[in-house]
Amino acid sequence: MELPILNDQPTTKGGCSAGSCGSTDDQLSHLTDDIREKVQNHPCYSEDAHHYFARMDVAVAPACNIQCHYCNRKYDCANESRPGVVSELLTPEQAVKKTMAVAANIPQMTVLGIAGPGDPLANPERTFATFRALSEQAPDIKLCVSTNGLALPQSVEELSQHNIDHVTITINCVDPEIGAKIYPWVFWNNRRIKGKKGAKILIEQQQKGLEMLVAKGILVKVNSVMIPGINDKHLSEVSRIVKEKGAFLHNVMPLIAEAEHGTFYGVMGQRGPTAAELQELQDQCAGDMNMMRHCRQCRADAVGLLGEDRGDEFTMDKIEEMEIDYQAAMEKRKVIHDAIALEMDEKRVAKTQIAQERQTLPKLSTRPVLMAVATGGQGVMNVHFGHAKEFLIYEASPDGVRFISHRKTDLYCSGDSTCGEAETALQRNIRTLEGCEVVLCSKIGYEPWEQLEAAGIQPNGEHAMESIKEAVMAVYRELAESGKLEETDEQQRVNA
Amino acid sequence: MALKIIESCVNCYACEPLCPSNAIYEAKPHFLIDSKKCSECEGDHADPQCASICPIEGAILDAFGVPINPPGSLTGIPPEKMAEAMAELQAH
Repeated sequence: MELPILNDQPTTKGGCSAGSCGSTDDQLSHLTDDIREKVQNHPCYSEDAHHYFARMDVAVAPACNIQCHYCNRKYDCANESRPGVVSELLTPEQAVKKTMAVAANIPQMTVLGIAGPGDPLANPERTFATFRALSEQAPDIKLCVSTNGLALPQSVEELSQHNIDHVTITINCVDPEIGAKIYPWVFWNNRRIKGKKGAKILIEQQQKGLEMLVAKGILVKVNSVMIPGINDKHLSEVSRIVKEKGAFLHNVMPLIAEAEHGTFYGVMGQRGPTAAELQELQDQCAGDMNMMRHCRQCRADAVGLLGEDRGDEFTMDKIEEMEIDYQAAMEKRKVIHDAIALEMDEKRVAKTQIAQERQTLPKLSTRPVLMAVATGGQGVMNVHFGHAKEFLIYEASPDGVRFISHRKTDLYCSGDSTCGEAETALQRNIRTLEGCEVVLCSKIGYEPWEQLEAAGIQPNGEHAMESIKEAVMAVYRELAESGKLEETDEQQRVNA
Repeated sequence: MALKIIESCVNCYACEPLCPSNAIYEAKPHFLIDSKKCSECEGDHADPQCASICPIEGAILDAFGVPINPPGSLTGIPPEKMAEAMAELQAH
């Protein structure tokens, strides 16, 4: 399967690519129908779907065949939310039981993934035993796997025999010199191979695996970790190559490197990228296909909607006590999935209509503006500023509204009347909104309102329960029409 | 002659399927090596397999009790740097 190159020009800074922007698009609009069909209910692949559909990952794959400088193999950790971390390691039998229990209790669940804490394909018996059982017992669940790619070529045949539409490969480089700075060793042909030689083997296997999957018609998403000073300048080249080979989505994620995680990068003081650096690189990489920007870098045992982990409800001791009638669950799931698909379709149609109407309005020539939105999902503005666990960042411009990223917050308002550290937490939240000029939420208190204004961010609570993209565009138009977005001479020269 | 797994093992399972002598077994609190079965991979592989995939420095000892992967050898983190980072964390 080859994907057409729709636009190989890099996007301009602050602007939009034809594929990823514009009010008429949804994120996957340029894909062929059969691919859209495969991703429309997958929360990790479709920006739209992640508001409605849930996924879960089971931790059956503890072994790894490589070392990455951003990973620490002490994965047994309860309170952290980042890739590779899990609380409970499962046998394949337990994983099947858990999957069916979650699918029955969270009917919006569409996808079961295996993503570690090690490499799923370095644990082929455990991974494929889980997939085999689920293909038989829960045929309505899509299966998904995420791999470093070292053992991918020898696994492609077996992968293609299960209910697997998509595979994610983490590819951080295509140059062994750079690879040696990311991967200290790989285990290959019964030896530990260090440095550039090891990185070269890994890169070759990743590229070969990618080509083999594409040839089989399995969709491939590529994840890359952006590491400033190591591969940040190199990732647009990676993006170009993987797209040419047929990967349909590229997800550039920021490095997570705190000293307390005990990783090489954490201990050695390697910094992660800023939100602005990440956005700039994502824009550079956005060409013939969309960049994935809604990734929450989940735990390898996450359960539920993205950004909302319900893993605690489904520990093995709780599952043992659950009675599951999967046949009945499957019928219920079908009804719910159909209703969601219908709602999504209606929204898509409505969006197209609005876009067409908007074309009749006079074209603006104002600069782009970043806006933050407090939302609990469903694509609507439905969260109080102080209750926001994260803000979604959108860019509004004369070309429309596009999703840029999410930024996590520390909740400062727990609903109590007083909180000793409220002020510092509020200040921290305001800092996470750096670069945004407006924050939209369902409601906002007097104190944060004042402080946001003082920080140069305009709060707006007038669009509660409205569609995010429409509200963002409406606020943008108001700003434009009130003359607050006139371009400076400098900006006009840059944009010319 | 036999290798040994010590308590810093994180139970990642990577070594167990690789052992040509089936000497490694799952145990609590960590995996163990049956010293009667362990051949140190003599005759099967150039390097002992468990030590060649183990990601934890110091977790596998040779017959003399010496770590096959000493601190700093796998992660590249200089041991003094690791000690410094951990000391700083504990101070908070």
